[in-house]
Amino acid sequence: MRLIARYAKELKNDFEVITIYDKIIQREKVPKDTPSMQTLAKIHPCAVWFERKIYDDFGINFSDAYDKRPLVHQERFAKNIHPMQKSFTNKSIQEVDYLPYKYEEISGDGVFQVAVGPIHAGIIEPGHFQFSQAGEEMLHLEVRHFYKHRGIEKMLEGKSLFDVKAIIERISGIESIAYQICLRDIMLQASKQELPKTLKKRHALFLELERTIHHLNNLGFIPNDAGFGAAMSFASKLSEDARRKLKEISGHRFGFGAVDFSIESIDKTSFLEWLDTLQKDIDFFEDWIMDIPSLWDRFDTTGKLTLKKAIKYDTIGVVARASGVSVDRRIDKFYLEHGFEIANEKSGDVAARFKIRLHEVKNSILMMRNFLDENSDDFTLNIFHDGEFFSFCESSIGELLVTIELKDGVIERFFVRDPSFINWQALHLMMRSDIIADFPLINKSCDLSYAGSDL
Amino acid sequence: MIRFWSRRLYESNITEDTDLEKRLYVIKKNIKDKVKKKFAGSLAIRMVDSGSCNACEAECNALSNSYYDLERLGVYFVASPRHADVMLLSGVMTFNMTPYVKNAYEQIPAPKWVVSLGDCPVMQAPFELTHAINAPVDKYFEVTHHIAGCPPTPLEIMEGLLEFLQKI
Repeated sequence: MRLIARYAKELKNDFEVITIYDKIIQREKVPKDTPSMQTLAKIHPCAVWFERKIYDDFGINFSDAYDKRPLVHQERFAKNIHPMQKSFTNKSIQEVDYLPYKYEEISGDGVFQVAVGPIHAGIIEPGHFQFSQAGEEMLHLEVRHFYKHRGIEKMLEGKSLFDVKAIIERISGIESIAYQICLRDIMLQASKQELPKTLKKRHALFLELERTIHHLNNLGFIPNDAGFGAAMSFASKLSEDARRKLKEISGHRFGFGAVDFSIESIDKTSFLEWLDTLQKDIDFFEDWIMDIPSLWDRFDTTGKLTLKKAIKYDTIGVVARASGVSVDRRIDKFYLEHGFEIANEKSGDVAARFKIRLHEVKNSILMMRNFLDENSDDFTLNIFHDGEFFSFCESSIGELLVTIELKDGVIERFFVRDPSFINWQALHLMMRSDIIADFPLINKSCDLSYAGSDL
Repeated sequence: MIRFWSRRLYESNITEDTDLEKRLYVIKKNIKDKVKKKFAGSLAIRMVDSGSCNACEAECNALSNSYYDLERLGVYFVASPRHADVMLLSGVMTFNMTPYVKNAYEQIPAPKWVVSLGDCPVMQAPFELTHAINAPVDKYFEVTHHIAGCPPTPLEIMEGLLEFLQKI
């Protein structure tokens, strides 16, 4: 079974820990006075971050866990505060004395540590990477994040579904449409309605366009990190064009506010014209880039994630598909009817992840053609019913999960599992046979979100 | 590769003649002049993200694509605060990032300026204050100029930088 998420919530007398697998959902009650339970990390290594986060948020102790360090709460965060408990209502907290974080380090003769971040050299998000090095060879990497932790789960509690839309679409800017589609599905579940097909197609078109933009960006950045800047110039022009197109059809360059229930038609002729140009450009790009041996010399065998490890660490999205795991939330009747074809590579290296992105851009172009439709149906939402709702969506990084529990019409518990949250925990596995200079290339080939995983 | 060069040869330079291009032309010229006068031709910016949604960073990256090409005007995004003149600050200033942002600012040699980017640092974005957010940033730094937008488009960032250059 694939572990999707593990999170806790507070009931009246107990805590409840919910574990979501791909087939079942398990619920366990933990008493509030002695909050302690068993770890899952021995079977599913990616449970470690979930459990460390549960401890930080609620104070639930995992008695047999081998890693009990704080995750979200960093050096200057007071140790006895658990902000997700309902009794915690402070809007600001004081910094406490600096208590050093104990990194996973390999020691030995000539082995040294390299600390990178949280502020990096380029224009990227903050996060920390701690390497144990033997010369140039990476022995171990610890990924340490949550510098961008904004307390979004707490922020949304007590609000109605309509009030939270603007915040949810800004959790991770480059996956905004995927987040909005998850919220849309939760709204539909809460109002017990079906979405008209034309609206569904319109939103799916936005999602594929977002994926295209994200992949185009990476198709430029990955070769750039291998020292081939010309690809970046080419691909960043295409992604700028695509972003302008998204603004034209949705009103915003990142699609903020794009997924709603209103009816607006898309200018078919100009959109198809643009798709034709993009198709031509991407074919040219592929033909050109596949023919550069020095580039593929860097890509091939770099940052390899084996199929066995990819399954063990429950990876998802581009990273999993590059290692041969066929996991994609778009495998359903609706997408298959519109030309979806799963991308699959086996080698699990940077080259595989690059090819997956290339394949997905081409597949998205095909799907966008099929999603173009006249909007005709009128749609209004009914009143929302209380309940616990789960929704999934395949963002450009991987499978996204949003869960919302509604009580008396307002949010009682909000939880998001960004695809990056899982894939970050598999990043260190890709470093085993590479040198530290390959790290930026490997990291970029996965292109995970920091904001989405930090919340 | 041969096809790449033959396409380059036959298509030559492609220019667009739109309103946007005309506006860009004027802004580019002004930025270049001001950078030349006030920063001896080279303005170094250290971009620091203190808890944004990554959209502001994506737009800053877009500044180096062939439409905007900011580096040609002498404006560089540098890798270290010690090379910088200006700190371009995005995000809501999270509790966890605050000490590092303050440290980055201290590392910038004087004279130095802070320009805030996007609606987050001034708490104009839809986010609300929680225990993990320390915004607005003017509690910590004297902000010389603010570039509004959620996120500001590359053109708006360029206009904002120009306003900043005119201000100082």
